[in-house]
Amino acid sequence: MGIPFGYVLALAGIVVVLGMICATTRRNLIMILLGVEVMLNGAAIAFIAAALRWQQLEGQAFVLFIIAIAAAEVSLGLALIVYLYHRTGSLNPEDYQVLK
Amino acid sequence: MTAWALFVPELSLFGAALLFLALALVRTIRPRVVFLAALAAAALAIVLGLASLSAEGMLFGQSYRIDLFSQVFKVLLTLGLFLVTCICGDVSGVDRRRHAEFYLLLFTCTLAMMLLSSAVHLLSIYVALELSSYSLYVLVSLRRTHELAVAAALKFFIVGIVSSAVMLFGLALLYGGTGAVYLDELARALPPAVDQPLVQVGLLLTLCGFFFKLAVFPFHIWAPDTYQSAAHQVTAYIATASKIGAIAILMRMANVSGGSPYLVQVLVGLAVLSMTVGNLAAIAQKDLKRLFAYSSIAQAGYVLIGILSLTPEGYAASIFYSLALLVMKFLCFLVLVVVAADGADIDVAHLAGLHRRSPLLAMALMMSVFSLAGIPPTIGFTGKFLIFNAAIERGLLPLVLIAMANVVVSLYYYLMVVRAAYLIEPAAELPKLQVSPVMKLLTGALVAVMVLCGIYPTLILDLSSAAAAALVK
Repeated sequence: MGIPFGYVLALAGIVVVLGMICATTRRNLIMILLGVEVMLNGAAIAFIAAALRWQQLEGQAFVLFIIAIAAAEVSLGLALIVYLYHRTGSLNPEDYQVLK
Repeated sequence: MTAWALFVPELSLFGAALLFLALALVRTIRPRVVFLAALAAAALAIVLGLASLSAEGMLFGQSYRIDLFSQVFKVLLTLGLFLVTCICGDVSGVDRRRHAEFYLLLFTCTLAMMLLSSAVHLLSIYVALELSSYSLYVLVSLRRTHELAVAAALKFFIVGIVSSAVMLFGLALLYGGTGAVYLDELARALPPAVDQPLVQVGLLLTLCGFFFKLAVFPFHIWAPDTYQSAAHQVTAYIATASKIGAIAILMRMANVSGGSPYLVQVLVGLAVLSMTVGNLAAIAQKDLKRLFAYSSIAQAGYVLIGILSLTPEGYAASIFYSLALLVMKFLCFLVLVVVAADGADIDVAHLAGLHRRSPLLAMALMMSVFSLAGIPPTIGFTGKFLIFNAAIERGLLPLVLIAMANVVVSLYYYLMVVRAAYLIEPAAELPKLQVSPVMKLLTGALVAVMVLCGIYPTLILDLSSAAAAALVK
């Protein structure tokens, strides 16, 4: 393999941090969900890199599961978001901060 | 064939979940029938769990370990499920047509927690954790009467998926640093590698996912809103069974961490912050369920003290305290469900005059609150005593002193609840509460368990110690 483990890991770290920034700073529920998906993909990159480093298939199996779980996560999240949007007409989480 | 026999408790819950899925498709089914089916299925799961208490073995390509540790937690989880089902006779907070789905999710979540207590492969841990969380997100959003149940479910969901994504990255770093995916491989690979920054960061990020489940500071922000907005029975489930699953997996992960001093320091910090933040915030709460939410954040701190001792005594104390938490928190919610029979939220002030409306419930509430506060002779006192004792033996005296100061702070708001139930008279005379004989029996039995296990903890403690020994083996 041509690219050292550390470089791929750094890429994965950057992707996760970008996703984290997106998930914590955006004020739109869809973008927050998108940010978390980016974080999951960053973790998947790290698993691929680790699988190559140790020459094992476990890391790649992990990635297949991550893809499936990410799909479940998005469908659940979007269902909640659509339901909430029907009731309140807003996608901004700050509009819901009325719980005392 | 023999291997599958080990998996029977899980299979029974899976079968029950499928049954409720089928019932959910039949619109004409009466809620009472679904309730009785759920009660029977949960009781069956307890019996099967107890029958397989001494089972041992490995399943699914060594990724699923069945030992005394996992079996004890499975019994606790099914017990939690059964108790929560007992107060589901009238789930007024959830639409009548959704009751079968409600039980489907409840049983799926318990199944996932049971898988979690046995999982010894990083992938099976992650999948089981996600399965249990997803069921809970939907359960929280099922509340009918509350305007913002969906908003609270969404908040719970977002905090949950962010922490699980962080945990997944942590798992990737652990795997990248050690090449181990099985926990026993990890337990061998970690001690020599624990000084690598990659592994340290990986371990810490991995624990984030479990801290979220246990509502440890700083992953507690979902708890107050979720507790308040979910139906009472769902909140009872989150506060009892769901916490027990998290304690089980946290203990397994802490045990493989190889006793890194760095990890212990982080856990000490989080335990102190959880206790302090939980107890101080609870003082200001008026809504009873929000108060319980902050109280359980503080209780999570006490449990962490037992786990971070990283000794068999500490683990045994934490297992004992899990049972204590299950009984005493459940009893609080039982009272809450009966007092708020219409499914509405109630404030602490609404408990006024409870000792006249139902002396038994007032006594049960007082005992469980005293137990949460750690007043002898209750199971809560014995549990805290065991945990603090294990921490002192480990040389963590300053931590124990901080915890004791916290116990004193927590007395304030726990006594406020007792004061509301016993000393404050309601503005208008309220009718007596209708408590069914079965509920009275359940309440009496739980109070008896709380006091008896407080005075005579040997039986449970022996079992906890044996389970802890199976964990560290």
